[in-house]
Parts: sequence; structure tokens; C-alpha cells
Amino acid sequence: MRNEIRFLRGGREVRLSGFSPTLTLLDYLRLHERALGTKEGCAEGDCGACTVVLRRCVDGHVTYAPVNSCILFAGQADGAEVIAVDDLANGGLHPVQQAMVESHGSQCGFCTPGFVMALFGLYHAPRKGPLTRAAVNDFIAGNLCRCTGYRPIVDAALAACTAPPQDRFAEDEPEAVRRLAALADDADVLVGDDRRFFAAPASIASLADIYASHPDAVLVSGATDVGLWITKQLRDLPKIIWLGRVRGLDAISDEPDAVTFGATVTHQAAMPHLAAIDPDLGALLRRFAGRQVRTVGTIGGNIANGSPIGDTPPALIALGSTLILQQGDTTRTLPLEDFFIAYGRQDRRPGEFVRAVRVAKLGPDDCFRCYKISKRFDSDISAVMGAFRFTRNGDHIAAARIAFGGMAATPRRAAGAEAALAGVRLSDPTTWSAALTAVDADFSPLDDQRGSARYRRDTARALLRKALIEAAGTPTRETRVVDIREDAVVGR
Amino acid sequence: MAPYIGTAVSRVDGVAKVTGAAKYAAEFSAPGLLYASIVSATITKGRITRIDTSAALAVEGVLTVLTHENRPRMADKDEAYKDEVAPDGSPFRPLYDDKIKFNGQPIALVVAERSEIARFAASLVVVEYGAAAYVTDVFRRREAAVPVKAPANPSEALFAPPKPRGDADRALAAAAVRHEGEYYVPIEHHNPMELYAATAIVDPDGKLTVYDKTQGVQNIQHYLCGVFGLKSDDVKVMNPYMGGGFGSGLRPQFEVVLAVLAARALQRSVRVVLTRQQMYALGYRPAMIQRIALGANRDGTLDAISHDAITVTSQYEDFYRQETAWSGLLYTSANAKYAHRLAHLDLATSCDMRAPSAATAVYALEAAMDELAVALKLDPLELRLRCYSDRDQHEDRPYSSKALRECYRQGAEAFGWSRRNPEPRSMREGTDLVGWGMATGVWDAFQAPITVRIVLTANGHAEVACATSDIGTGTYTIMAQVAADMLGLPLDNISIKLGDSSLPQSPVEGGSWIAASVSNGIATTAARIRNELLRLAKQMPGSPLADVGSDDVALADGKLVSKRDSSRAVSIADAMRQGAVERIEQEETTNPAQDEKRAHNTHSAIFAEVKIDEQLGVIRVTRVVSAIAAGRILNTKTATSQILGGVVWGIGMALHEETQIDHTFGRIVNANIAEYHVPVHADIHDIKVIFVDEPDDSNPLGIKGLGEIGIVGVAAAVANAVYHATGKRVRDLPISLDKLLA
Repeated sequence: MRNEIRFLRGGREVRLSGFSPTLTLLDYLRLHERALGTKEGCAEGDCGACTVVLRRCVDGHVTYAPVNSCILFAGQADGAEVIAVDDLANGGLHPVQQAMVESHGSQCGFCTPGFVMALFGLYHAPRKGPLTRAAVNDFIAGNLCRCTGYRPIVDAALAACTAPPQDRFAEDEPEAVRRLAALADDADVLVGDDRRFFAAPASIASLADIYASHPDAVLVSGATDVGLWITKQLRDLPKIIWLGRVRGLDAISDEPDAVTFGATVTHQAAMPHLAAIDPDLGALLRRFAGRQVRTVGTIGGNIANGSPIGDTPPALIALGSTLILQQGDTTRTLPLEDFFIAYGRQDRRPGEFVRAVRVAKLGPDDCFRCYKISKRFDSDISAVMGAFRFTRNGDHIAAARIAFGGMAATPRRAAGAEAALAGVRLSDPTTWSAALTAVDADFSPLDDQRGSARYRRDTARALLRKALIEAAGTPTRETRVVDIREDAVVGR
Repeated sequence: MAPYIGTAVSRVDGVAKVTGAAKYAAEFSAPGLLYASIVSATITKGRITRIDTSAALAVEGVLTVLTHENRPRMADKDEAYKDEVAPDGSPFRPLYDDKIKFNGQPIALVVAERSEIARFAASLVVVEYGAAAYVTDVFRRREAAVPVKAPANPSEALFAPPKPRGDADRALAAAAVRHEGEYYVPIEHHNPMELYAATAIVDPDGKLTVYDKTQGVQNIQHYLCGVFGLKSDDVKVMNPYMGGGFGSGLRPQFEVVLAVLAARALQRSVRVVLTRQQMYALGYRPAMIQRIALGANRDGTLDAISHDAITVTSQYEDFYRQETAWSGLLYTSANAKYAHRLAHLDLATSCDMRAPSAATAVYALEAAMDELAVALKLDPLELRLRCYSDRDQHEDRPYSSKALRECYRQGAEAFGWSRRNPEPRSMREGTDLVGWGMATGVWDAFQAPITVRIVLTANGHAEVACATSDIGTGTYTIMAQVAADMLGLPLDNISIKLGDSSLPQSPVEGGSWIAASVSNGIATTAARIRNELLRLAKQMPGSPLADVGSDDVALADGKLVSKRDSSRAVSIADAMRQGAVERIEQEETTNPAQDEKRAHNTHSAIFAEVKIDEQLGVIRVTRVVSAIAAGRILNTKTATSQILGGVVWGIGMALHEETQIDHTFGRIVNANIAEYHVPVHADIHDIKVIFVDEPDDSNPLGIKGLGEIGIVGVAAAVANAVYHATGKRVRDLPISLDKLLA
């Protein structure tokens, strides 16, 4: 058992103990270190002004992950090197800083440290082929700027991030690997006592043990949601169990007919596997959140929190997914849709945790589509999110799985529409009307600021029609909400 | 040495900003600094009947909880709270008494040793209220809205409602073609990236140094002196950097009052930082209901304009701008009439927000012009040309310069406007509907009195000082450029001091007036420096400049040079050596020329393309061309970015931005930047900025200012493009998905 967390700052090892379990990394930097370069713009992971980069060694490779430090608990930096904007310039400016100055990517300067760090992450991101404007947009979609009009920042990225990295961080990677390796151990971490602690178990068995002893603890994976309980709701969470050190919980098992994601697989890591099932899933994950959130937010967390929107649960439900839960030594499985009981209530017992989700792949007769509709195109919660899996039998639909987010208090299947698709002939749109009517009856959506009930109904019906048009074989270019499927960005 | 003015100099504060070295108001510290957290009212109107701070005070590390019951003395007269740009009325006084005037109003301040303790203890303050009835919905106050009065403050005379001309009612009745429509723009919040913050530092001599997020340090300093009865020597206000203002920092905000209040109560240094949520209790762009009526002749000339507006303010101050003046100014029309009424709501007072009044009013005017063009079966651009006015329509006077025609021409050409099919729903790409819309923009070209001090040292360096602010616009950079050119020195030899109330006088930074004001101010003071150098140079034995007058000499390449004969020159160093002086200091006030015989405005033409998924209402603004006529451009890099930023604001205004109030509770429901949508990268596609040539002699440097003009008209261009794409006219912003489908 280790009673402190350890991370690197400027090559130095920092050991922290006796800190509040919910101390954020941003507060650590600004209040404890008084490293003031990193800014707080919203304290909820929306604006990216607080972006820092966590450098880790993963399977012998050095990775650079941009994260929102405002909602990341300091304990989550365990085992990493924390790189903040104050650390980049060394004698001269870093290439991304130089490009930001030359392209006029900074005006008032308050979002600038966050952009610089996001671009620093991009500078070090592995790349296949030339860097495109679209890829830059994606990488910095989690950073807001109110002054520049964005284009100068994108220009800076294109100027600085095309060549292979040549900065001092690239140069010292062998040394970084050595230092990071020295931090790695297999110990369970517990900082605090039985009443207040930040725990980071290192194995599934240790996790099961400590959660059984403390079923009142809060499980934290990426903290992209739980972080806001602290910064916005000012909740006191005395017991935090962070899942990020649990060996094997982030395993991805890609089999011929299904992919199983461990609970702590991040959205970023899941992206290529889901995009390989269908490019729509890649596009969905890209718009689901900015890079900083995708980097730490997990598939398991998005399920366990039971948001009525998703966005991943409706897509995974439509594909056909099984949730694997564990309590002590016991595991049980259930269809993902059955996990969501009511608003804010899931079928999870005290001490029980999400272990993994098994996602079915598509067969040769399957057609999958999903669409995210939000008021703002990127970085916005869906008004409606619809996902469709049709199994074709010639011109007929033999089976359908349809799930929506934003249409009810939980992500839910459209049972009526699924049944009504039985009589449908894809080649004859006049046979679709029963299903289109049925989807209306399946839901009584809310009126709220994201969309009126009527808009949601109309949209749910329009999305089903779109999916049918595409399944019927009309060229996809004609029916896309955004992006052309062939060009969909699938992450890297 | 080539001139710096007009070139793409990178911003001089860029390095400080990209390295994180630039320090903002919340980042200045002092020994024993205390942290304060604000308790906000949870009702919308009424009184505090009981406030129990005992639980908060019991928390270890809490020093005090300030409320209206125990706060130190503050002024009791409205005059003390009236700042440089205060509207008529009785300004809000934080923690003054038990009255609640708006939801989110600060009612207590918890001061503690650490910020976490302050924040936690703030959650323990128990408040009981006596609630009163309230109205936060402008549509419920529509009938009760009252006509605006001419402002009492003479410096605000500009905002007096314009005078009508001709007989608009008769002309409208007789018009061959009429369009009348009602347009609505909701409340919007500025949402600068930096959180509002103030750090009040008690210096060892008991004086105060206050770092505040503000657009005017001297405005704050004067205000604090009034509110707390301080002598001007007792308090200094600083803002070396500001993380965006957009108008929200023109007036003093409550963070600075609270920080100083706590510092005075405890005689300790105190920092107050607002949360993002609390920033929604500051000012906002007033919601605006507008009725525009246009009467036209068959040939597309205008005969009548009528503009009725209702804007929103608080119950305690009458904030408004020249909301109805833009429509009567822009186009030739013999008849025009206006009515502007104020709806008093139980909200904080509205305030200036980027291009105040023009952003909203010109949206309505330009959307209405588009509708008139449809009624006339005329190309929208052609309609603007037929109504084009070479004279200010209010005062019937010429413009100092107006290159709007050239904006139309160059903008249309760059956009490819001539290829537009006038029929709505006629242009498609796949199943996307494509729409092209355009609009005109207009703003004022102001210049305000300002004082600049320059200290030139014998080593060829100059320090330029003025109490203005750089709110992110690039003031440091353009000041350095202008000073380098005027003094004939390399840019690197210029250092700029601003954001300090003890420096020479400056107005608040806003309204696009600082570039013209401070640049011409530098030119004036630099001329005094030059004259002093010439005086010294003439004293040199056999001076080559002995018979050269001050108007015939310029500073260039570190030398005084005769304009007629460049071989006659004396280096700055030699001249100063001659006079045995190490430094030359000059301070001079520059007043704008009295030029009432001409109108001074900037203009723009905006062309926008949208692509719309018809079944879902998803809108993307795929292309914008903004052609700008704004006098001389000091720095193409900072100028382009100002316009890009303005265009992005306009896109946000058209499609996203809206402060949503639950009128049952009088509370803002989207008080965060997850749900208050500002555009993100993916919303922004191709934007082209064109500066058309527009020589202007209103001031010696020919500068007009750029901060506002970029947003004006953009929302209309986008809305008009949405109509062209879909055939559907949405007259209330933002044009959200559901409105388009409804």
C-alpha cells in the first residue's frame, strides 16, 4: 500500500499526501505551486483554458494527453508527468508558442495557455498523413476563444504541427521513459484514512475489496462528470476511488463478433474500435466531446452515470450490448438497455461496479446508422441522438434495434417502431409510414432549452426516415446530417 | 527604416501570453492575501429578512462574513456610485442594504485564509427573504414600457433619440411597396474567457493597489474614491492585461467593490474571483423587440423608415443607446420616424456589449431590407445601392469618408454574389439547401480626449505611457507601432506602459475609440519630443538643421532629418548630447478636432453562405466575406483578427447565443458556457476579411477604429441566407433548429 501519489513536474518527482480527495489538478498548480500560467475559465471542462498535458509511458511509448485540469483530480496525475504552459518555453519559445504569436492566435490571452497546451498535445500526437484543417478543428474543439475568430489559431496549428516533433520533450523521451518507469509500481494507493480518502486500487480484486468495504465511496474514472459535482455543486465527497490504476480494467478485447471494452477504456481509445464497426460511431465520438474530455472520459463512466442523453448508450443499445457488473467476486450480465431504470437511477447495487461492456459487431446483412443532433454543432449535449441497426432480409427488415437519447428520462429503445418495421419494404417508402408513426407513439419527450417536444418528435421521425433511406441504398452523400461517411474522421 | 504602421507586426505581448507569463487580475498576490467568496441571492426581488452567518463564521480559517448589516461605511448618495459611463438612475450598491433587485445579486462576502474555505463557508450562510412580485419577461412589460428621455449626462447626449424627418406615416401609407415586420433579439452575455476578479492589496503605507478586470482603470479609481471616500492618492487601480471585456468591463462591477470593502474591513489584502455562474449577474446585451416599417417606390428607392424599439433595463437605471438611430442614418429616405421605449425588468442593468445598439438594430433593419428586396423582386445588394446615401441622413451632412460602395463591390466579387439565383430554395448541394444572404454594417468613428507621456532617453529608447487598457484588442502593439514610426526608432526600442490609473488620462476602452485616440495622442506628444530635439540640434555649432522649421523635420532612423533634404540630419544621440540631457519627457493632451460639419462612421458589407439540412434544421455557415471600410488600418494582423472575431460573434448571435430566463423564478437557466453557446471551432468555416482603401482626414493619422464594426450586420446576413436557403423567415434570434422546423 502506497500512501501518497507521485508525479513528475519539470523532471522532479512530486510526492503528495494529506491532500483533500477532491483537490483538482488546477488548484494544485495555481494554489499550491503558484504556477499561474494555467487558467480557470469555467471550472467545468467546457472552455479548455485549463488544459495541461499528462505525459505517460504506455507500453514503452510516450504519450501526451491534453486534459482539463479544472475537473481532473490531482490524484489522477499519479504516475504521469504534468506539463503546463509555464514549462514549455526554455530559452526560446516552443514551436507552437512561436506559431501562435506569428499567426496572431492570441488576443486577450486568457484562453491562450489552454490552446498552447492543446496544440502541444497535437504537436506530439502520432500522425498518419498530412495534418488537415479538419483534424486541427477536432483536436482543439474543446477549447473556446471569444476574441480571435479561431482561424488564426488553426493557422498556427497547421504551421507548427506538421513536421515530426523536434522539441526538447521529444529529445528527452528516453530519459522520460526512465523517470516515468521509476514511478510505476503495482501498489494499491490510499491517501487519507477510513473517513476521507483518495484511493487508487491497482487490481480488480483490490477494487472489489475496497468498494465492498466502502459502498458509499464515489467511483471516479475520468472525473469529467464527477469533477463538476465538486466545482459546481460544491459537494463534499469524502471517499474517492479512482479506477485509473486498476490493471486490466481498460482492456479491449476485439473478437470477430463483438468488442468488449473494460470500464475504464477512454472514449479516445474506444474510437477506432467503434469506428471500425461503423464510421458513424467514429463521427459520433468525435462530436461527443473535445479531445480533453475524450482523453480521460470513459465508456464505463458514461454508462454508469446514466445520463438521459448518452451519447454512447443509445448507440451501444442499438448495436446490441451486454453490460457486465461486478460485486465482490460475483459478476452478472444484463442487456445494456435494462441497466437504465429511471432518471438518475440505474440497476447497480451497493458495492457493485461496471466491469465491462460487450458490444456486438455488425453482420453482413446489418446496416447501422447513428445521428447526433445538437444546437451547437460541436461540444454540445444532444437535443436528440438516434441510433439504428437494421438486419436486412433482401428488401425486408428482418430485425431492427432502435434507440434514442434525449427522448425520455433514460436512453431508450423505440419498441413500437422496431415492431412496425417488420412489414417494411425498403424499396417502397410508402410502406414506411407505420414505423414513422410508431416512433411518435414510443416517446413523450420533454420541452426544454435544447429543443421543444415537437422538435424532438419531428426529429426522431426524420432520423428514422434518414436511416431507412440510407439502408435502402440511396447514396449516403444525399442524406448525411454532417460529414460524408467516406470521409468520417475516425480518430487515431 | 520602413514604417510599422500598416504592416502585420506580431503583437508585442504575444510572448507573455503564449508562455503564461501575462498576469491577470486574480493572479497578483501579497503577503497574507485573503480569499473571498460571494453569496448570491436566490430570489429575484424583495428583502433579506434574516441573514445568519454564524455557521460560516464558525469554520476555521474564516475571518469575517460581510453583509449589509456589518459592512464598513460606504457612500450614501447616488452621485458617488456614478461612474464615467453610468446611465441615468440610481446605480446598484453591493451589500448596501437589505433590498434584492435581481437574482444572483451579491448579498454576503465570506473572507477566509484559503479560497476553498471561503467557498465552503459561503455555502453555510443562511438567508431568509421576504419575496416580492417581479417581472423578468420583456413581453410582459411590453405595454408598460416608457419612452426614453434624453440623457442627463452631457457626454451621453449622443444617445438622445434621433429627430424624425418628413411625415413617415403619410409616406408609408402612400408607399408603392411596404414591408413591416417585428424582430426580436434576446438577452446575450459577453462571456469573456477571463473570470471577473479583483485583488485589493493593502500596501505597507495603508494605501490600496487594486488589480481589477476592467476596461478603464481611471474610471474604477474615481469610482472607488467616491464610494469609499478616498483621496485619489490613496488608491491605484491596475489592469496590465485583461482577458476580454467586450463592454462588460466598461462600468465598475461588484467584484471590485467587494474586494475593497473586505480589504478595508480587515486591513488585509483580499482577492475576489467570480464563478462563471456569478458572471451572469453582471450586465448583458439588452433584449430588443423591434418593429421596422419600410416604404419604397417601385424603383427600389426608399421613401419612409419607421423604427420602433423596446429595450430592456433594470428597475433602477435607464440604460439604452442609440438603438433607433441606425435605421434612419444608413439609407436615403425623405421620411423617417422613431420610437424607443424602455422595459424595466427585475434584472441587473443591461450594458454595452460589442457594437451596442448597432448589433441588434442593424440586424432588424437589414433583415427588413432583405424582406423589402423580396417584395420589390430586387436583388438585395441592388436595393442597398439604390438607397445608398452619401450624406448622413439625420443631419444632412457629408461623411468624412464613406467607402461603403467599394465594400459592396469588393465583397460581392470575392463572394461570387453575381452567381446567386434569387429564388429561395433554388440552390442545393446534395440534399443540403444552400442560401446566400448579405447585409450592411455601420458604426461610429469616435475619438476622445487623451493624454500621452513619452520619455525619450539618450540611448534611443522611449517609454510611452497612458492609462488606457489593452483588453485583448492589441493596444500595446499599435501604440508601439505608432510610437516607433513617430519617433523614428525600432519597435524593440519602445516600451509601453498602460493599465495603471496613475498614468496620464485616458477614457475607458470601448466603442472602438481607443486606437484613434491613443495613436493621435502619441503623434501629438511625439511632435513635442521632436520639437525639443530640434531645439537642441539647432544649438549645435554649424548645425545642419539651423534654419529648418519644426514642420519641415521628421524623426527617422534615430535621427532628426530635414524633409526637404535628407542629407541634413542630426542623430537623436547628438542632439541630446548637445543639450547635456539624458532624457526628454513630454506629456500632452490631444483633443479631437471639432468637426461637426461631417459625419464620422465605419461601414461594412457582409456576404454569408449557409448550408441547411432541411429535415433537421441543422445550419452551418460555410462562407462569410466581410468587406470593411474603416479608415487607415494600423496593423493588418490585429485588424483582421478583430474582424474575424466580430464575424464569429455575429454567427453566434444569429444561431446560438441566448440567455434563457425561467420567468417563473426570474433566474437564468443556462448560466454556464456548456449551455450558453458561443461558437466553437467546428462552427467556423471560411471567413474572408477585406479592408477597402478609405483615406480619411478626421484625425492626423486617419484612424477610425475596428472593435465593433466586425459584428454589425453579420447576424442579418446569416438570417437572410437562411431565408434564401429555406424560404422561411425566422424573425427572432437565435435561429435554432426547432424554430426553423416549426
